[in-house]
Amino acid sequence: MLKSVLALLRRDLRLAIRHGGESLMPLLFLFAVLILVPLGVGPGPNLLSAIAPGMVWVAALLASLLALEGLFRPDLEDGTLEQWWTAPAPVGLLVATRLFSHWLITGLPVILFAPLAAQMLYLPDHALPVLLLTLLIGTPILSLIGGLASALTLGTKRGSVLLSILIFPLVVPVLIFATGAVSAVADGLSPRAHLGLLTSLLILALALAPLATTAALKLNVE
Amino acid sequence: MIPQFEFAVFVWTSYAIFAIIVAWQIFQPILRRRRLEAEIREELALSQGEYSNDPHP
Amino acid sequence: MIWQKIKVGFHKLGSPPIFYRLCQVLSPWLWAGFAVSLVIGLYYALYVVPPDYQQSDSFRILYIHVPSAWQAMAGYLVMSILAVIALVWRIRTTEIMAMAAAPIGAAFTVICLATGSIWGRPMWGTFWAWDARLTSMLVLLFIYLGIMGLYAAFEDKRKGARVACILILVGLVNIPIIHFSVEWWTTLHQGRGISFVGESTMDASMKPPLIWMIVATKLLFTAALLDRSRNELIDQDRRKGWIRRKLGASV
Repeated sequence: MLKSVLALLRRDLRLAIRHGGESLMPLLFLFAVLILVPLGVGPGPNLLSAIAPGMVWVAALLASLLALEGLFRPDLEDGTLEQWWTAPAPVGLLVATRLFSHWLITGLPVILFAPLAAQMLYLPDHALPVLLLTLLIGTPILSLIGGLASALTLGTKRGSVLLSILIFPLVVPVLIFATGAVSAVADGLSPRAHLGLLTSLLILALALAPLATTAALKLNVE
Repeated sequence: MIPQFEFAVFVWTSYAIFAIIVAWQIFQPILRRRRLEAEIREELALSQGEYSNDPHP
Repeated sequence: MIWQKIKVGFHKLGSPPIFYRLCQVLSPWLWAGFAVSLVIGLYYALYVVPPDYQQSDSFRILYIHVPSAWQAMAGYLVMSILAVIALVWRIRTTEIMAMAAAPIGAAFTVICLATGSIWGRPMWGTFWAWDARLTSMLVLLFIYLGIMGLYAAFEDKRKGARVACILILVGLVNIPIIHFSVEWWTTLHQGRGISFVGESTMDASMKPPLIWMIVATKLLFTAALLDRSRNELIDQDRRKGWIRRKLGASV
């Protein structure tokens, strides 16, 4: 069981490394957004530091949307996805593994480069650890919700437009609590309540999203 | 007959929006049903070899 | 004995011809009930009820705004119950009904949003405020649109309905969270300056039209739901014998 999970993880990561340029697209996209915003609203430090948490988060959200199209579709087209039901590991676990590798490819680079982004937007230094913490808790939720939405749209012809409409309402709470935590700490308040609520969202998403994703995949494979 | 209201513009626009959307809810099913019935009737007629109603002979 | 009869009657509803017949019989009565309660409600709302001492006549928007908001949410609940039945027992008529409920719920959400922002103009001085209730209604609208879009994107209607039913349940889990988070967000970002006045403390004379309008929207929802479901059933079963017999007889 563990063997097949590890095999799937190894295959996903190897593919991501082989397609180096493609895997870096979300990160490049993140920085494209972060560079365009100051050009749009002006380089004033006060305004930029006020909108920094929201901007980093919106950019991270948009970046996570990019890789969703290739999350299950190639496997559906070459028939690998059907093999998941004959694998020795339960399908839910394989789905969770695939979502974990999606997070490693799109979420982790964003967290690693977030300090640089925060500097570019003049985020106060003492708010940086909290920003990283919210990204650490929040980006897995983005991967889970994104995985669910891409599983739902798997059977359709053009999923990508639909994908963003499906994801937008579901990520509203994540965005609110994550940026709320960073803004609170930037204003000198305690971010604990926000972080606790964000963590409970993560637990809820971890418990329910793989179930719903598996059900949606099953319907689409049938 | 029509009551005089303060803020009349806002009140009547709201009620007009309500009326339009409710009317759409009423007429959409009726129109769709008519279209479907016409389509099915045409299919039936064609399958029975009855071409007298066919608009494109 | 009686339970057995109820159970059999319930199972019969899963059969398309019987469901079709039921819609055909019930729908005119529901439309009639809607018309009656709408006329009474509008008469009270526009003629009988005196102007509010704070908001003057603009509060009359409440009589369409509040029932629509209620129905938008109650419609989602109805849709979710249908979705659970559809996913667990795989009854095709409930799948069709769940899908038919989405556009009607979306219509009520649009009414609620439009009248809410029009009401906001004289009260708040702006058409759109990031008020907690308006914002969560906007998100609800997008959930409805997502369900409709997902269903429409599938070639195979049954598969589309099942997948959309999963999305309905995901939305059901999310709506309370979204509402709570948006409320939290607005209370942090703005003071309690903006809020509807006089909604919680309502005079008794203001209530009858509200009740009539709520009844009217409920009947409208049910009637439109049955009509739309019947149309969808005709569309999907157009090549089947029972539809041909039913419609062929009227040629």
